[in-house]
Amino acid sequence: MENTQGKGGKVSADEGGFHFRPYRPERSDKLPPCRAMCPSGTPVRDWIAEIAQGPHDPAGREGSYKKAWRLLVASNPFPATMGRICPHPCEAECNREDLEGAVAISALERYLGDRAIAEGWSLPIDEDIRYPESIGVIGAGPAGLSFAYQMRRRGYPVTVYERHPKAGGMLRFGVPDFRLPPAVLDAELKRIFDSGITLVAPVRVGVEISVLELQSLHRVLFLGFGAQAGRHLGIPGEAGDQVWTGVDFLELANSGAVPALGDQVVVIGGGNTAIDAARVARRNGAAVTLVYRRCREDMPAIPEEVDAAREEGVETLFLATPIELIRSDTGTLTGVRLQRLQVTGTDSGGRSEVRPGAGEIRTILASSLISAVSQESDWVGLEGLTKQRDEFIAGELKPADELICCSGGDLTGLDLASHAIGQGRASAEAVHARLRQLVETQGPTTAEPKVQADHYPGAGRLSLPSTPVAERLSDTAREESTTISEKEFLQEISRCLSCGLCNGCDLCWMYCGGNGFTRLESPRPGQYFAFSTDECSGCGKCIELCPTGYISEAR
Amino acid sequence: MNIENHGACARRIEADLTDSSSRPIVSFPAGGLADPATWGASKAEDATADSSKLSTSEMQLKDGSRVAVVGGGPAGSLFSYFLLRTLSMSGVHVTLDIFEPRLFTHSGPSGCNHCGGVVSESLVQILAMEGINLPAEVVQRGIDSYQMHMDVGQVQISTPLMEKRIAAVYRGNGPRNAPPRMGAGFDRHLLDMAVMVGANWRHQLVSGVEKSGDGWRIGCAGGEGGTYDLLVVASGINSALLPILDEAVIGYRPPTSLRTFIAEFHMGKSVIEANLGSSMHVFLLDIPGLQFAALIPKGEYVSLCMLGDRIDDRMIETFLGSPEVRECFPKGHVPQNVCHCLASINVGPAQRPYGDRFVFIGDSAVARLYKDGIGSAYRTAKAAAATCSLQGISASAFRAGYQPTCRSLTRDNAIGRFIFAVCHLIQKLRFSRRGVLRMVEKEQSIPGKHPRMSSILWDVFTGSAPYTSVLLRTLHPAFLVSLLWNLFVANLPGAASTSREVHPT
Repeated sequence: MENTQGKGGKVSADEGGFHFRPYRPERSDKLPPCRAMCPSGTPVRDWIAEIAQGPHDPAGREGSYKKAWRLLVASNPFPATMGRICPHPCEAECNREDLEGAVAISALERYLGDRAIAEGWSLPIDEDIRYPESIGVIGAGPAGLSFAYQMRRRGYPVTVYERHPKAGGMLRFGVPDFRLPPAVLDAELKRIFDSGITLVAPVRVGVEISVLELQSLHRVLFLGFGAQAGRHLGIPGEAGDQVWTGVDFLELANSGAVPALGDQVVVIGGGNTAIDAARVARRNGAAVTLVYRRCREDMPAIPEEVDAAREEGVETLFLATPIELIRSDTGTLTGVRLQRLQVTGTDSGGRSEVRPGAGEIRTILASSLISAVSQESDWVGLEGLTKQRDEFIAGELKPADELICCSGGDLTGLDLASHAIGQGRASAEAVHARLRQLVETQGPTTAEPKVQADHYPGAGRLSLPSTPVAERLSDTAREESTTISEKEFLQEISRCLSCGLCNGCDLCWMYCGGNGFTRLESPRPGQYFAFSTDECSGCGKCIELCPTGYISEAR
Repeated sequence: MNIENHGACARRIEADLTDSSSRPIVSFPAGGLADPATWGASKAEDATADSSKLSTSEMQLKDGSRVAVVGGGPAGSLFSYFLLRTLSMSGVHVTLDIFEPRLFTHSGPSGCNHCGGVVSESLVQILAMEGINLPAEVVQRGIDSYQMHMDVGQVQISTPLMEKRIAAVYRGNGPRNAPPRMGAGFDRHLLDMAVMVGANWRHQLVSGVEKSGDGWRIGCAGGEGGTYDLLVVASGINSALLPILDEAVIGYRPPTSLRTFIAEFHMGKSVIEANLGSSMHVFLLDIPGLQFAALIPKGEYVSLCMLGDRIDDRMIETFLGSPEVRECFPKGHVPQNVCHCLASINVGPAQRPYGDRFVFIGDSAVARLYKDGIGSAYRTAKAAAATCSLQGISASAFRAGYQPTCRSLTRDNAIGRFIFAVCHLIQKLRFSRRGVLRMVEKEQSIPGKHPRMSSILWDVFTGSAPYTSVLLRTLHPAFLVSLLWNLFVANLPGAASTSREVHPT
């Protein structure tokens, strides 16, 4: 207690006196859950705010769409693609979730992405090529292209090497057309290369061109070639016709060459590749049984996709594993012998631990088998780089070290495309900082906003448009869902709570007794008031009223 | 309004307010001259503000009329309740939207409505007669006495009459970080009642009002609020809305205000029972600028209300550091408060709080000086609603039907100001404090003795009776003789208060 002198009757805190403690507000942009959860680090709230808080009249709206677009593609140059295939972890912790359901972020992203394609918006590249360091990228998948685009944005010349004739990587070969139409992917890839990135394809690095040669051409090499080799089951009868790995099968299907499957397909595995393969097979008229060694809730696949597969008639068989493929005398596949498994506990990752149940073996019919149990990358010809790879995996090699960056599905574990995009961007930031000797800037705040969800008027979640099952099965190229309308888009966008960022609700300004808030003459999304604590009486009302958590108690 | 018996005769007030032919005793006849001293508007201004060219039928609420009530505190909710109830009896169906962004379900200042939350038992009874029954969890009864603290001693005064008892309410959902309570707070309860009789609660903050043809266009944060035929402002005076309306609504000038300090201390029921009992504790201390201060027990918490001319952290700390206050806390230690706000209260009426198609009610119009803000909200809401439904929504209708209620409050406040000046004098002069203390002690210790001083103090501190009635009683010869005698005896050399022995704490 500072001033105990003077006034009679005043006593210090030690003597049982009272010290008035005002609440001191501070305003700070906080990390919203959508961004915190997004593997590619998209500033979801911020791009939504540009539209949600932008001009309400249609004349001014176009400008806010463009501003939103700039913010969105600064971290993810594939919005139409990711809006379709990403399992949207951004929605999982959305503060609307507890009210009427999360904001349908992926549907919003898809709408804006489709609009950009329809209207031919280009990626905003502000920098001409102004740095001498040439960048080489091996693999034109989501990680490599994200890295390439982020380096191009910063002003570097970039060349991408791809072993397939077309770019896209797993987005092209691993995702079936009914989830991602090739036209959408092509449009987004074209936009990336149109920004001034050179594609060399098809070329097999390590076979047709050596790593040493690439190292002499480029200052930085980025390894982003994913995990495109499917693992085999390693059981009797596997060698022979009518057996594919999941990746091989999807690649064939996406190239328009679906093999003849017969009428009974068995798919082994519980990941996204297994589900996608099962759904493609189902669309080609076969009866499909999916066999997974653990339980439904242990499946690594996107739950909505599992549901969709079952809707489409894919049968599931849990707690079973193949031990032998049965072939006729002529070598034709006729069935799969399965071992029943039982749950014995839970592993460290929270998944069921299983072991064979004694004597429980049964055989199911199979005309074809697709094994989608795991994937790895193909390092043929790249053995010279395995040291860096191993160091990278061990955490000893940071992305900017040695200026050979590693990323992609194999190196950091099989994960979402969104994660690969995020890795590509993070690597680019690190490489750029290293090349330009930038001091690492302070990352965005990680403080979580305390959102008061019940301050917001209720608004139900959009029901997402999906194609009827019969139509999905009768037309193999038919998209499983459609893009929302502009009206739905604007309605859904208005549901965003703007967690951690001022949305101009006026409550602080209205109820402040100390004239602490002054309206800005030209407000913009996130910025509505000037703030002064000169006359603050410390009542704390603004802290408690702020629905977004933007105003919080000063620490 | 029968000012002599406001507290005691609820039924009569009911009749006065609904029947406009029954004029308050101290009001001018209907349509009489405005009082320039209180309203600040000349008759000429009144005439220009009136749309006298319009026929009266156009300035009536009729089927399909749209009413905007800005603010869902007690004034706004009670107005809506009374208006919709009366109109439905005459078969008129209007759209009535209450704009209130807050839910009143949050604990702490954001869910609360800036007041000490003391209501008189008479108001609770009046509301009950209006069909508004406050559940037990909304009204926390149990204050049956008050204890007056002065440097010369303290004395406990019991409730003079049953209907003068006071109760405490939480306006929101309790102090900051309080555990969620069952049921709604006072404000939410009234708002729910209004919704039950047909009001639409629009969960929006009004941030602008402008004239639009014959009506009003309401602007809300993040969108349009709509247009309305009648604008009812019940925003209180703790928001930035009044300065905006100052410009939009011709002739209206916001009330003058005074800052209060209201804080909550968490002490627990048993500690409160042991230290404060079931008394409201009033302090008459010689602290410059302090007009009034009281501690009010409310369940697990104690509320502190301070009113003064320039309340700041220094005055708060001086007050809470004084021995008379510290005595009320265990071991003389005042704990850290869990919640506080520095809200403004209305201490001088608004100018021209009505006109064609608009009326201001509650604190944004006029309130009892220092006291009974909820009672004032009730009275202004009721009078305005009766006028709107029975007489019309023109300036002349409000002048005839609404102004008398405002004026009676304003006149009473002029007297209240005088009474508080006298109280202030008592606070300042030690000999007078001794006299008052002795007189109360005698009244309280001798059964059957007419408690003249006790009842006067009770009414001043609780707001249970109009200030005019308080003043009239102080002029009673018996009171004056008794006061002079006590002043003389209490200040004889060697005379000392016995109160500390009588009421040990």
